[in-house]
Amino acid sequence: MSFELAVRLSEIALGFLFLLQMGEHLRSASYERFLFIWRGVMAVFLATGFMPSFVYVSLIMNALFILYRFQGPYNGGSDRMSLLLLCCLAFAHFLPEQYMKEMALGYLALQLILSYFIAGYVKVVNSEWRRGRALQDVFLFSAYPVSETTRRWADKPYLLLAMSWSVMLLELLFPIFVFNAYMLYAALFLTGLFHIANACLFGLNRFFWAWIAVYPILIWFSSQFLGT
Amino acid sequence: MPFCVLSMMNKVKCSLSLMVPVLIPSWRFFDEIAPSPRIEFSFLDDSAGEPSWEVFTASVERVSLLQGLKRMFYNGRWNEGLFMVSCAERLMNAPTQHSEDEIYARLIRNCPHKPHAKYIKFRLVFIYRDEQGELARYMAYDAKPRAIEGELL
Repeated sequence: MSFELAVRLSEIALGFLFLLQMGEHLRSASYERFLFIWRGVMAVFLATGFMPSFVYVSLIMNALFILYRFQGPYNGGSDRMSLLLLCCLAFAHFLPEQYMKEMALGYLALQLILSYFIAGYVKVVNSEWRRGRALQDVFLFSAYPVSETTRRWADKPYLLLAMSWSVMLLELLFPIFVFNAYMLYAALFLTGLFHIANACLFGLNRFFWAWIAVYPILIWFSSQFLGT
Repeated sequence: MPFCVLSMMNKVKCSLSLMVPVLIPSWRFFDEIAPSPRIEFSFLDDSAGEPSWEVFTASVERVSLLQGLKRMFYNGRWNEGLFMVSCAERLMNAPTQHSEDEIYARLIRNCPHKPHAKYIKFRLVFIYRDEQGELARYMAYDAKPRAIEGELL
């Protein structure tokens, strides 16, 4: 995948994510609504490639206002990833030399790889995760399960043990997959399914859109620097 | 230096400091299953009234396939609930007026109450697994009652 195509695909995906965020805040209080309408309008421009320099500056300013409004990301990790994508795309747009642009997006690709690997590492070193107990607790008493029906998954310890190890292995092995194009596509398909499952079971829909928006950058990075 | 300029500079400094974890994230998702907060609230007729606690929750009994698909694109109430959970956790780790204000404003906006209710109060109850492996709970934060009128952000 070429650099330009990867950037364009990620811009479109990020614009779509920001539009979804605007939709979710249309019924919020007035100032909050204003901030997300601002983001939504700029998202349309970002996705269509209209006045990119102005749009990037505007979106970064908007992000600073939103961070201040909520005293941090509104939805934790998913908002962090979408803002990291925005910042890296902005750096890639404004930096003068091609190698600098590639470094900005390379950093983003490395962060995507780390997001899986670190998440897998911190789980596998925890005995509660290795025994399947941690995931059982997530279903049993965390604030995440979207329904009472979902909460009852806590009663299926063997299924949760299998799910725990599947997730940990996928996350830990992810850095290896980026060295082979076919394995990378297969891994991205599996991680995509993983994010869909998180959205269905725990309502984390923003994670799905934020992470897949970075996938084109990883595919470009893998083909450019890792010879896939 | 004029106060408004100082205030603006503080806001810029605060926003930039909030940007640092965005640019250098940690990605330690679910490294441990910590005690999980529940926001319990009660509307009161007067500030000294006896609370009758209800649990604030954005979850439902069941989510159908169609609802699940819709939530991939629009999940505003749920994501607002997750933000309130973040505010509850912040109140435990680094309490600020902002976190309490956010919880109050969203409770008032989202939870129906009787017309004669004049005050609202919330508390944070944390659920965890005790040493015997049983679920246990403790009350960790008890907010002062607040008048409902004029509270909507």
